[in-house]
This record gives sequence, C-alpha cells and structure tokens, in this order.
Amino acid sequence: MSDFLASVERRAFKQAVFSVQEEESAHDIVQDSMLRLAEKYSDKPAAELPLLFQRILQNAIRDHFRRSKVRSTWTTLLYSMGLGGEDDDGDPLETLEVDELSNVPASPESQLEQSQVMESIEEALRALPARQREAFVLRYWEELDVSETAKVMGCSEGSVKTHCSRATHALAKILKAKGITL
Amino acid sequence: MNEKEFADKLKPWLERSAASIGEMRAVKLKAARLRAMDAWREPVRLFGVVPMSSARAQAIHYGIVQRALLFLPLLVLIAVLAVQTLDDDGDTGDLDAQLLSQELPPDAFLDQEFRSWLGKPRG
Repeated sequence: MSDFLASVERRAFKQAVFSVQEEESAHDIVQDSMLRLAEKYSDKPAAELPLLFQRILQNAIRDHFRRSKVRSTWTTLLYSMGLGGEDDDGDPLETLEVDELSNVPASPESQLEQSQVMESIEEALRALPARQREAFVLRYWEELDVSETAKVMGCSEGSVKTHCSRATHALAKILKAKGITL
Repeated sequence: MNEKEFADKLKPWLERSAASIGEMRAVKLKAARLRAMDAWREPVRLFGVVPMSSARAQAIHYGIVQRALLFLPLLVLIAVLAVQTLDDDGDTGDLDAQLLSQELPPDAFLDQEFRSWLGKPRG
C-alpha cells in the first residue's frame, strides 16, 4: 500500500491541481483520497488499487466542486442580504498565499525552455473542460483502458472516446497556436 | 500523428511536471501518505474465514450487534405472544379432553340426527 501511494502521490497531486487550480485544496484532496483508500480498501489486491484510487480521487475532486458551489451560493446569498462581511477576511489572505506559492524560484537558465514548454502544456490542460481533462489524464497519463476510465468517470465507453478525442485535438490546437512542437 | 501518438509524446512532459512539484510539496505529500498509512491495518479474517479490511470487519461486527439490539424487543414480543398462544392451546385441549372423556347416555347413540332431542319441548 505504501509503495503504491508513493508511486501515485505526485501524479495525483498534479491531477488535482489541474482540476481545482489551487495547490492547498489539491493537497487536501490527495490526502483525503489516500486516507480513504488506506482505511477502506486495505484488503484489496495490489492490482485493484490504481482503479480504486482513481475513483476515490475523481470523486474527491467532484465533491470539492460541489462544496465550492454550495459555499459560493450561500456567500452570495448572505452578501445580497447584507449579512456577509467581517467574517470573510480570510479570503484575500488565502489568495495571497496562493500567489506566494506560485512564485516558485525560477528554473536554471538551461532548463528555461523546457519549463516553458511544461508550463504551456499544463496551461493547455487546465484550459480543457473538466470532463475532457479527466478522460485524457485517466486514459493517457494513468494508462487506464477505456472501460476502466468509463467506470471511474461514471459514463459510457463511447463518452470516454469522445472526450479523449476532443481533449487531444484541443490540446494539439492550443500547443500549435503557441508554437510548441513535441 | 494519431491520438495515441500525441498522448505518448505528452506523457513524459506530464511526468516531468509531476516530478518537479518542489521539495516542500513532496514533503507534505509524504506526510499525508504516512498519515494514511497510520490508518491502514493488516487485513483480518472475519470469523477466521473471509479475508477483509479490519475497518470493514469492525463495521460488520458492529452491524451484527446493532441489528441484534434493534430486533431484541421484537423477539421478546414474539416470544411472549408464543407463550400465551401455547397456554391458550393447552386450555382448549383440556376442555376437549374433558368433553371427549364424558360418558354419553346410551340414548345419545340411538337418537339418529338428534330428532327426538330436537322434538322435546324446552322449558
């Protein structure tokens, strides 16, 4: 279990970052997912762990969006009623912290070009619609087959193929527009 | 270039991106993993037979006890009703036995279809 988690934690973190676009939330999502896998599925054979973990991770990402949606609905409602205000002083701080985190020290000059390509790829992935990104990452990064990807995403195999195809074409188009050749 | 080839070319970049998340983040992820491993327990065998996670085994044990407690009042009620019914059956049985054991007068056997008994005037 430990070896498996060690092998997937960084990829899982990046997947979550691509989806929620915020490092601290992404970290929480990965941490919750690892905890859930360890608590609930310690009896499962090692071969089943990747699929189970991906299911848990994708559900955790969806839950994050659901909670954010509910929170923003209530915040909007409270503000419109004139009840919001002093209690929400934390938000700008959180934003500042994120900004600070994104100010990662610059890469050495020799790696500048590579890091620029990497950033462009990440940016292109973030720009994809959520379902397309999910399908692409599961299918081609996590190397799940079509039926496994469909199970994780809770959709048909046909939808997975469609999402993957659209994601690939969109990525190729974005990268081409930026003049990046792989 | 087809879809798969394109994705294959992109994958090393994604791997590189995951590898370069920064030391601080890697340490935090490792800490999260260790916390998860604290929650992990060796699989156990339920009733010494079925292998399963200790958490699930605990849940099953708890579920059995909980259900037993839930159905306990119902079982007590059913038991009380059963005992009462058996008692009632016993009383009826005793009455039947008494009736059957009574000696009937010989006229009763000779009175076909109770004609003479029915013809008697009642007081």
